[in-house]
Amino acid sequence: MDSTTFPIVLSMQVAAISLAIVAPPALALAWIQARRRYRLRTAVDALVLLPLVLPPSVVGFFLVVVLGRRGILGEVLDSAFGLRLVFTPAAAVIASSLVALPLIVKTVQPAIEAVPVELEHVGRSLGLSPLQLFLRVTVPASWRGIVAGLVLGFARALGEFGATLMFAGNIPGRTNTMPLEIFAAYQVGDDRRALLYVAVLTVISVAVVVAASRLNPQPGGR
Amino acid sequence: MRLLLLLVLLVGCGGGPSAPTVAAATSLRNVMPALVTGFGQDLTVTYGASGTLRQQVEGGAPIDAVVFASSMPVDDLIASGHAVAATRRRLATNDLVLIVPEGGDASLRWSGLPGLPVKEKLAIGEPGAVPAGRYAREALQGLGSWDALQDRIVFGGDVAAVLAYARRGEVAAAAVYATDAAGIPDVTVVEVAAWPGAPRPEVVGAAITDDARARAFLDFVASPAGQKILASFGFGPA
Repeated sequence: MDSTTFPIVLSMQVAAISLAIVAPPALALAWIQARRRYRLRTAVDALVLLPLVLPPSVVGFFLVVVLGRRGILGEVLDSAFGLRLVFTPAAAVIASSLVALPLIVKTVQPAIEAVPVELEHVGRSLGLSPLQLFLRVTVPASWRGIVAGLVLGFARALGEFGATLMFAGNIPGRTNTMPLEIFAAYQVGDDRRALLYVAVLTVISVAVVVAASRLNPQPGGR
Repeated sequence: MRLLLLLVLLVGCGGGPSAPTVAAATSLRNVMPALVTGFGQDLTVTYGASGTLRQQVEGGAPIDAVVFASSMPVDDLIASGHAVAATRRRLATNDLVLIVPEGGDASLRWSGLPGLPVKEKLAIGEPGAVPAGRYAREALQGLGSWDALQDRIVFGGDVAAVLAYARRGEVAAAAVYATDAAGIPDVTVVEVAAWPGAPRPEVVGAAITDDARARAFLDFVASPAGQKILASFGFGPA
């Protein structure tokens, strides 16, 4: 693959894998936060929101401190499994997953809250397990919000820059996603190269915003 | 709205009577304060990768003089009509060195880099913007090992970032200037790039505007007093 298409393909792969990894826990969290009232609910709410509110540099620093080669967990992973995450595409996936999570949870949660609780009560009384209940009652009734959340999460994962730069580094041909490539091209003064990826990301983002707004019914709309 | 306007005005007035601004390469971040003190007049210094600073000058940043870690961005600015050719001069020289983190492989040499284990990385500056990275690329190309190291070279946005990668032990080795590695306890200099044909890093300055104080600063750096300060920070004579 040539060096022009590589960042596009890598970004798509990183975003897709991130979404696949983060979607199940994000949907589960959204459901729990929407339906359960438990003691640490507010704390979990705040924790989930953190990557969305914190500057990406804080997320990146946190990742390096924890999963870096001399990080708290990173050192253990390296000595026990020979696993090194820093400066790998996997590091880009971790950074993207982390920042996509809150966006999915926060978009899906209200959609699930809007599903009448009675529907789930009926399902439960018919003997559905929690997973069956979620897949056969909750998802069909809130799929628009779920898809909107996943689409936004994908876009956020695709656009992740700060934490990725710190944790995955810029290795051409390995970890240079489109946002990193735009920054590198800008630093070098190669505006034409930057513009190419700016255009690609802009087109994708516009498509995502349009898709999300069509899926997510506005109050009073439809 | 009125409050917003007031805020904008306040931010705009922050500078006060402005001292001339010198844009200096990141590799000069340790020596510049000493040079400004020796110069004895007020100067604002802004740091960055030389290539990035060059972009900023071309973009109209209010910069009166530049001191870069390579002649290329200075000559680019002269060619584009931003820097004053008559004021361009070499102010110092430097050495490109290979460093390894504390506890790293101290027997590693420039020529041995392609033999690094596959998972190990080498950090250099982004060659397009960071002179230390361009020198490193030249060195590796001269040794015929640039292509073999593809996919294993992490680009830093400036030479300080490259040094930090090594200090944190995230890479097996890094290419920085001798003046960057000097006095840093958690890295070891394993080899200076000094073979015949190795890149010879230099520090080159030029005036951008006709600001007299900025030009006097360049004169001071080139003077024996300035050279003495540079030498005390490990820089070679111009």
